[in-house]
Amino acid sequence: MDELEQLYQTTYTAVVRFLYRKVWDAERAEDLAQEVFVRALTHRPEKPRAWVFAVAANLARDEARAAVRRKRHLTLLKGDPVAQPTIQPGADTLVEHDERMAAVQDALSTLTPRDREILLLSDAGLSYPEIAAQTGLALGAVGTTLARARRRLVEAHDRQHAQGDHAAHS
Amino acid sequence: MRHIPEEELHAYLDQGLSRSQCVEIESHLASCPSCQGARDGIAALRDRTTALLAKLAPPRGFPPAFETLQARAAVAASVHRRRVHLGAWAASLVAAIGLGWTASNLVTRPVAPSQPSHTVSITPSRSASALPASVHSPATRQSTPRPAPRRMAVTRAASKDTSPPVPTAPVVPAPALELSSVDIPRADREVELDGMWRTMSWDGAQAEAGDKLPHIDGLPVVQVQVQASEHGKVPLTVVAQQLASGEVIRTIEGPMNDVSHLLAKRAMSDPDPSMSTTSSDTLKPSGPATHTDQTMAMQRGDRLLVITGALPSDSLLAMIRRLNAEMRSK
Repeated sequence: MDELEQLYQTTYTAVVRFLYRKVWDAERAEDLAQEVFVRALTHRPEKPRAWVFAVAANLARDEARAAVRRKRHLTLLKGDPVAQPTIQPGADTLVEHDERMAAVQDALSTLTPRDREILLLSDAGLSYPEIAAQTGLALGAVGTTLARARRRLVEAHDRQHAQGDHAAHS
Repeated sequence: MRHIPEEELHAYLDQGLSRSQCVEIESHLASCPSCQGARDGIAALRDRTTALLAKLAPPRGFPPAFETLQARAAVAASVHRRRVHLGAWAASLVAAIGLGWTASNLVTRPVAPSQPSHTVSITPSRSASALPASVHSPATRQSTPRPAPRRMAVTRAASKDTSPPVPTAPVVPAPALELSSVDIPRADREVELDGMWRTMSWDGAQAEAGDKLPHIDGLPVVQVQVQASEHGKVPLTVVAQQLASGEVIRTIEGPMNDVSHLLAKRAMSDPDPSMSTTSSDTLKPSGPATHTDQTMAMQRGDRLLVITGALPSDSLLAMIRRLNAEMRSK
């Protein structure tokens, strides 16, 4: 099997999730993830896994700046949306899911951009050397950053929860 | 004895340390309850983080087939090498398939889909795999023994398409060409046609491609090419149509893999005009402006719809959207 195909099978979901945590739009995240792999196929990078996440991060950054301009000569459009069904969870589950998600999302937003980036890369399965190479951080600083990011995320989330509970009981 | 710093425990649990560092930490942990406690705390923190982040997941969609992405990459590659003349495109398309049968008839005049009148014409050409990928090079043209009419066909198409359009110029009709028709032994045809190309009449192509042959309504059709396919499958079709300006646009529709293969071949076999054009080359564009192909692709299930031509990308985009909508409503 093609090395890239293997990578695609194993990391596509992680790339979508990584992008989703930046653009907060499931469909857009999928579009961008596919774009990432299309580029990987054209470029054939040497270290495809790290490359894929680096490009994903760049695309998300462009997206955030709202400056993403599709290549002038090529517009790839999503085909028939009916052809790609998605599993719809029940409405109740959905609302509950949304609330829990919003809480984590808020907690994540309290981190500095760098801490957040490194936390997300680590969660996507990148190794310390890969994270260091991609972010320009010293290898020895990855652990320090992750330690801080994890602590802050959990603290911010729990603080929110405490406030939420307090509001609910008063 | 120094205790293990927090970040080192993170790195240890994240498998971000060297083998020797790990050994060092493990030997310390074995004899230090305080650091064991710290390690357990950090392990719990890691787990919490992972659990929290797991909530930040999009609704699970179905990843597209890898082949879909390969097809897109092929489109991207073909666009990347877009310094292509449409005539060369026609030639490379024919050459790329390495066909044993080659379509020789560009039509004598533009024919509207509603009034199909041209005939099926297939010329056997066993040496057709030697078709020149580059029609730009005079040397190639001379060295390739091929029937004169067909060479003229491709050559003249290229010549026309590469010249910059002049808005005030009268509409240039498709070049008048000889139609050649040769009888082919039936058994031979059945064996040979698999995976190969034929230029067909509108009716014939429509019969093979199903009730709707993808094309832009209202434009004269200058050429229809059909790739033979397995029995029961809708084949790959290429419909060339001419705009009032003389530009030719092509609508390609077919199985993802085949279209992607075709586009990839096209990208590879497209000669760079600057490489093959010499001062004596009659195909050299008269002006400095050279129109380049734009390509739009749209995935439809396991099939790919592509429109390519020397038009602004937004025009092609509008066309492909309309076409897609028409095909969906069909």
